[in-house]
Amino acid sequence: LAGPASPPGLAPPGWRVPVDCVRANELCAGEPGCSSRYRTLRQCLAGRDRNTMLANKECQAAREVLQGSALYDCRCKRGMRKELQCLQIYWSIHLGLAEGEEFYEASPYEPATSRLSDIFRLASIFSGMDPATTSRSNQCLDAAKACNLNDNCKRLRSGYISTCSRELSAAEPCSRRKCHKALRQFFDRVPSEFSFRLLFCSCKDPACAERRRQTIVPSCSYEDKERPNCLDLRDACRADHLCRSRLADFHTNCQATFQSPTSCPGDNFQACLGSYAGLIGFDITPNYVDASTTSITISPWCSCKGSGNMEEECEKFLRDFTENPCLRNAIQAFGNGTDVSVAP
Amino acid sequence: ALGLYFPRKEYLENVYIDEPAGTPLLHIHALKDSREEGAHFHLCQNRIISRARSHENNWFQIKENTGLLYLSKSLDREDFNMLSVGNWMPLSKVMLYVFLSSHPFQEKECDSATRTAVFLSLINATAPACSSLTARQLCFTEMDLSFHIKENKPPGTFHQLQLPSVHHLCQNLSISYKLLAAEGVPFRYNESNTSVRVTQHLDREERERYELIAKCTVREGLREMQVEVPFLVNVLDEDDSPPFLPNGTDSADAVVEFNRKEGTVLSTLTVYDADTTPIYPLESSRRKYTGTIITDDPWISEMFRVEHIFDEIHFSPNGSQVRGTRHEYKLVLNKSISVTEHRSFQLDVLVNDTEFQGPERSVMLHFNVSILPVSIQFSNITYQFTVNRNAERFAQIGKICIENCMKFRGVNITYKLLSPNASCYPVSILQGREDKYGSLYVNDSSALRRPECKEIQYTVQATDKQSRKHTKTLLTVVLEGTLLKKEEDCPDSCAISKHRAECEECGGLGVLTGRCQWRQGSGKGITTNYSTCTPSIKTCPDGICDVVEGRDPAVCPQDCTSGNIIGGHGKGIGNLGIKSGHGICYCFPRQNCYCEKDDVKEQLCDDVCKTVI
Repeated sequence: LAGPASPPGLAPPGWRVPVDCVRANELCAGEPGCSSRYRTLRQCLAGRDRNTMLANKECQAAREVLQGSALYDCRCKRGMRKELQCLQIYWSIHLGLAEGEEFYEASPYEPATSRLSDIFRLASIFSGMDPATTSRSNQCLDAAKACNLNDNCKRLRSGYISTCSRELSAAEPCSRRKCHKALRQFFDRVPSEFSFRLLFCSCKDPACAERRRQTIVPSCSYEDKERPNCLDLRDACRADHLCRSRLADFHTNCQATFQSPTSCPGDNFQACLGSYAGLIGFDITPNYVDASTTSITISPWCSCKGSGNMEEECEKFLRDFTENPCLRNAIQAFGNGTDVSVAP
Repeated sequence: ALGLYFPRKEYLENVYIDEPAGTPLLHIHALKDSREEGAHFHLCQNRIISRARSHENNWFQIKENTGLLYLSKSLDREDFNMLSVGNWMPLSKVMLYVFLSSHPFQEKECDSATRTAVFLSLINATAPACSSLTARQLCFTEMDLSFHIKENKPPGTFHQLQLPSVHHLCQNLSISYKLLAAEGVPFRYNESNTSVRVTQHLDREERERYELIAKCTVREGLREMQVEVPFLVNVLDEDDSPPFLPNGTDSADAVVEFNRKEGTVLSTLTVYDADTTPIYPLESSRRKYTGTIITDDPWISEMFRVEHIFDEIHFSPNGSQVRGTRHEYKLVLNKSISVTEHRSFQLDVLVNDTEFQGPERSVMLHFNVSILPVSIQFSNITYQFTVNRNAERFAQIGKICIENCMKFRGVNITYKLLSPNASCYPVSILQGREDKYGSLYVNDSSALRRPECKEIQYTVQATDKQSRKHTKTLLTVVLEGTLLKKEEDCPDSCAISKHRAECEECGGLGVLTGRCQWRQGSGKGITTNYSTCTPSIKTCPDGICDVVEGRDPAVCPQDCTSGNIIGGHGKGIGNLGIKSGHGICYCFPRQNCYCEKDDVKEQLCDDVCKTVI
């Protein structure tokens, strides 16, 4: 594949595939002008006070020179080699600009360009069934079977399940850290035709919905003794480059909008589901809150209790999970095996 | 200038290509701290931030006195491409900051002034014709009509319903607004300039949320369209309520007796406050609401501490619910207290709402602390145990425990046997790291078999580690039973036997009467009640690898194994032992365990089978 084919209506004309930040950093290191300016800018941004930084002449000059370099448009890919390093470079430039001001941050990841229909095509080859006709069976069970027939999926799935259900002591039911790591490996390395089917299968009865809720072993990866405040959880997530990036990606791809019929940005369900799956294995891990078959409610393990004057902001953050028409439509479309028709 | 603030967190508007200079974009309002204040708006760092870049702002300006943001220069396609570089989403957003001051702006104030972010969506098209816009687009922006107003502040205008850009563009349309509200809400809509005003100072402790409806009517010739959207006002809290005690309770008893461990919560007192206390960020809220032990006794400040937790509760002052805070102050042992300590005193804790401006900002809590001594002694009886002469090494005979020992926490009692003067010495005592009791077990089974050993007297001593206090009692071990003949070919571990018959005819390490015991399970799926062969059903398997079983892996691998378990099973706590198994579980000590269903009940080959062969 020679670069992702941009679906119509998604990328503005003239948009080119950006270089990844690791490569951009190498390019910059090769030029003495660029590398010294980049060092200066990083020092400017390392301090606390961004306003002073913006006013500083030397910092301004460094930024203006760097705006012409590849570093300013670089992006990262989900699950790429050196993903963390790439994101560190990305945030080292972006943090200084709008940190803390923006409720929604722009994603450092390249836009997802495949469509749900690509997954359905592949999935039906693997399972030998047309997903549209399997509505009467237990889709979640079928998804587990399909995963077990694939060596890679089976290995990584049993890997996270055994890690997440290993009891350490009476006080510590599992190692959450290791469980999260294993879950991230699963969702990064297993193709979405397997992982999405496990995560977003559609259900007609509670047993199926319970299996769907249990997919990520919530007793270890999701639930906790106490429910923290959502803004606290968001802060913790933003302190970590990887988590921050996944959250920004979720906000970029699943933010509901009035401007498209599906409520999703660019009507791209695949991008929303992908960035949802990308949050699993972090502090902000979302999951189904119950085994209801009629209404799908998703939430991270947090509440807005104790928000004080920030309650409005907290509710807004939480609603992007619990009452998000884009996310809900995307999950339902996946379960029904439907996708928005892409105009030719 | 600190009293001025924006009633919205951020602002949003669309900008189209080639809109003429002078086009008004949006109105920004500010609310005041005092009536005399004026509001001045300014774009301090005259920069626009788009994606990762910042650009010189050549296009947008704000009227210092009215807060009207407008286009000072038309944005052409070239400008648009420059500002949306690196953006792939259908909408390019740029951001700029608007600053606020109470007097005409001087550049040096920019660092300290309050600011808000304005987001402008750059639309890659020229402004649409008014006829192509829906009523929703003509009346409201995509942003929710949601505002926050601080309590206890003077009234003022905080919003204008009419969209300046639409009003400018579509002058031949008649767009009018109405604000639908219940009787008596403190907001007024002014039809002449479509502005909304808060008419009096608000009190969050009375009501913290107002839900109104903004209604918009668009008339175009004879056609009339209407849109309604929610109009929400949240009242922001400030610390204007003092702490108070529920039911006036300001004292509680705190008794230290058997539980003397560091970290024990002795007692809790509660303080309410009608103000909210954010748990985010947690530490700063803790610092704002302090609880301090008032004492000049160094011993008290060393032995006790106060822990403060708080959570949100609801008050209903007049039908509507408002949030408040419950603070809990817990008196906690800072160190384990010695068993000999005996005193009582009143411990005072001063709770201080540091941000409340008023005389009643603090309350005093009183804990009536009594520290009772506990005695280290055995109950009046002497111990007597009978041991079968056929018992094997590691057979568990009984437990030794001083009075109330199971209630103790933070008291370390160690048990030991003072050796008898006889040559018979078959039993020993062992104690696990966390155990409050001593386990008496057979240590030398050959002494049991010797006929001269019949009744052995021991002295048991229990010692408290911290105070070195100790106590003694007598222990008699009576040997009984006649020696059984040992079966040939028996394994040394009961757990190896897979069938009831071979289990019950053999002995093994840990058996009490010379024979292993068979536990018959329920046989349904993977169960904690699996079938297995054990030295004593009372202690093995019970899900706990106790200190005696832990001495030798052959005693009770069902509780203690860390090796592989083959077949359907669930592991025990800390990956030790078989918590649940399928069918019969048996183990080869230091090797694998197996759990399997014993299906082969009938003979392998019956008469019919033989004839076929």
